Amino acid sequence: MKKQFTRRAMLSLAAATAALSLAACGGNVGGGAAEGATFPSGPVTLTVGQAPGGSTDLIARAAAEGMAEKLGVAMPVVNKPGANGALATEEVAAMKADGQNLILLNASLITITPLAVSEAEAVSLEDLDVIAGLSQDDYVMVASKESGVKSIEDLKKGASKLSFGTTGVGTGSQLAQALLLAQAEIEGTTVPFDSGSPALTAVMGNQVQVSTIQLGEAKPQIDAGTVVPLVVFSSERNEFLPDVPTAIEAGYDVPVSQYRAIAAPKGLSAETKTALTDAVKAAVAKDTYKSFNESTLLTPKEITGEEVVTEWNELAAKYKKLTEEYDISLASK
Amino acid sequence: MDFFGPVLDGFGVVLDPTNLLYCLLGVAIGMLIGVLPGLGPAATIAILLPLTYGVEPVTAIIMLAGIFYGAQYGGTITSVLLRIPGEASSVVTVFDGYVLAKQGRAGTALGIAAIGSFVGGTIGIIGLTFLAPLVAGFALDFGPPEYTALALLGILLVATISGGSKIKALIAAALGLFLATVGRDIFTGAERFTFGNLSLADGIDFVPIAMGLFGVGEILYNLEERHRAAAAPVAVANVWPSRKDLKQSSGAIGRGSVLGFFLGILPGGGATIASLAAYAVEKKRAKDPSRFGKGAIEGVAGPESANNAAATSSFIPLLTLGIPANATMAIIFGALLIQGLTPGPQLITEQPELFWGVVNSMYIGNILLLIMSIPLVGLFVRILRIRAAILAPITALITMLGAYTIRNSMFDVMLVVLFGAVGYLMKKFGFEPGPLVLAFVLGSLLESSLRRSLLVLEGDPTGFFSRPISGTLLVIFVFVAVWPMVKTVIEKRKKANALLSETKVKEKV
Repeated sequence: MKKQFTRRAMLSLAAATAALSLAACGGNVGGGAAEGATFPSGPVTLTVGQAPGGSTDLIARAAAEGMAEKLGVAMPVVNKPGANGALATEEVAAMKADGQNLILLNASLITITPLAVSEAEAVSLEDLDVIAGLSQDDYVMVASKESGVKSIEDLKKGASKLSFGTTGVGTGSQLAQALLLAQAEIEGTTVPFDSGSPALTAVMGNQVQVSTIQLGEAKPQIDAGTVVPLVVFSSERNEFLPDVPTAIEAGYDVPVSQYRAIAAPKGLSAETKTALTDAVKAAVAKDTYKSFNESTLLTPKEITGEEVVTEWNELAAKYKKLTEEYDISLASK
Repeated sequence: MDFFGPVLDGFGVVLDPTNLLYCLLGVAIGMLIGVLPGLGPAATIAILLPLTYGVEPVTAIIMLAGIFYGAQYGGTITSVLLRIPGEASSVVTVFDGYVLAKQGRAGTALGIAAIGSFVGGTIGIIGLTFLAPLVAGFALDFGPPEYTALALLGILLVATISGGSKIKALIAAALGLFLATVGRDIFTGAERFTFGNLSLADGIDFVPIAMGLFGVGEILYNLEERHRAAAAPVAVANVWPSRKDLKQSSGAIGRGSVLGFFLGILPGGGATIASLAAYAVEKKRAKDPSRFGKGAIEGVAGPESANNAAATSSFIPLLTLGIPANATMAIIFGALLIQGLTPGPQLITEQPELFWGVVNSMYIGNILLLIMSIPLVGLFVRILRIRAAILAPITALITMLGAYTIRNSMFDVMLVVLFGAVGYLMKKFGFEPGPLVLAFVLGSLLESSLRRSLLVLEGDPTGFFSRPISGTLLVIFVFVAVWPMVKTVIEKRKKANALLSETKVKEKV
């Protein structure tokens, strides 16, 4: 009996301590923001709108590692997947602008998704302070070996009707492919898959003849010779696929890549923003981060937050114009 | 050798200390929940899903698989000692197992059951090793039309073969299909049943449904059932069976293993049906069927071998075709999806390490279980005495915590509570949650594959039949769908004939 009492007492003591420290924490954060106290006042959370293990998540973790070192606080990465990242972005945008909560943004959410979903769901950069850009991830169009297609020219003169796989509705893969097909006047059926991997498998089995996929996913099969790369959609040739032409070189106005950046809720104080910018700079300068980029086939695109806003808004406008010009609708087929 | 290379690499994966540890953890948990009546492997795996996010996919699946086949061992113990089957698949073991225990031969029964389980499990793994690559050889030939046919077949088999009322199974499956339509249409981006809620944009996640229906639903239902006072366990002695017992049961073990293996492959089949069938076979074959129910050792050996063989072979349709054969497999299907792996014909070629790692871990797991099952009997029996009032809140708490950690979302926790209530009501009114979960998993596959096929085939439905694999699958589908009706008609005619000739005799159907 005695033993039980002591245990119970200890438990309640522990609970009380936990409650107290929680209350204290809450007080700190609230007060800190109001009085503009020093940043960081505790762990900085980096939210990711994608599932763990995906490329976006890996980038967040690689960046958070270096940033945590520079800021001197822990930087947990929290995954809140849902609605292409819109769920997480809206949640973080509504938080207090004290720099304690950050979000890793995918450009496609701002530039491409609005073309596919209703206006009410679209996310805009206006509610966010973008800290810095991180990297660029390219799309490559691959063809199955059996189709015999080796270039865009082959696609154009192809007599039989072809099917084109995409990685889903409202993705860069869909936009890039739709724009290229429209500009080159290629006939074909577009087949959306759930993500990159099934779209790639379908090309390998010639279930669809062509798919547009992110480079990191397609590279092992390109190297193994099971699929044939036709074209990349970056504005310049990709350093990891130097022999594959860009769509722009081939004469088509299709500059589509995936970009990533780190952002915070709108209204950061100048000091906080500087501290965060410096932290990103320190993180991307690390060797481990650089070799991470290389191993995941990412091209560094370490630009300032202002540049990110300008570039992404320009891209959004450009995509809108292009889709209207060629009468492309991402939403329904 | 082409074939044995990856198989041997798989052993390398298993012998990694982390994987060994998780294998041990999995089988130990499996055995424990096998002992606890009420909490089944499906519920446990659903509850423990979030635990697996942080580990490598192969490690995660090794553990989850261990829980599943470990439970088949554990279920035996309570059947024999307490007359309480820990698992549905051990119900028939009660008939002779408990009688044997009362005759003071509990040790013999447990020993034979453990050996039978081991043999059955091992035969299942060997079959899996050789059969799976054969099926997977067609991997790249599986396009959208083939997946459509597979999903159709899977849903139909679930509805027709599942135990209990067929109408209720169909209703549950229909609800599952409906739930699968929630979320943003992946072809057009249109919102379906999301009510403007961004949390529903990607549809309802599989894990909250499984955790709610199986985990919380099961806990609530068991709380309502009056907790059965555990009778004093019978003393266990002489665990090692005598040579005579071994000789007597070796045939039953062999037959049970082979029967279990084949019944396990069938979608909708699995360990429970396998154990029932094995018991029936042994009784039919015996020279003196009246011994059964009075302590026949074959009545323990056959079913116990069969349920383990079936537990293992039910991985074949999942790992090679992506069809979950039963509710537990549906949850492991979900676990693979969470790890970014799509179960299907590609799995074995794209993820040989995962595939062979998991398959080979079953050899190790079975050996561990054989070693553990005998000395730990006493311990497991003692765990049975923990009151439900203590066990239930702990399990519920773990479930809620787990649900939150999936996406750090309170919305998911609410879903678990909601589906917990649904699961409780379903059980109370005699609906099995299994068909719902299976239809939910296969529903999105069916819809997206069908629409994708129609795009590829340019809207021509005859294309489904002109492709060899999808054509064959659809013929099987039609056969399975029509067969029960044909059978009823034949039986009715027979009955009518019988009535005509012998008007007095009334047949009982």
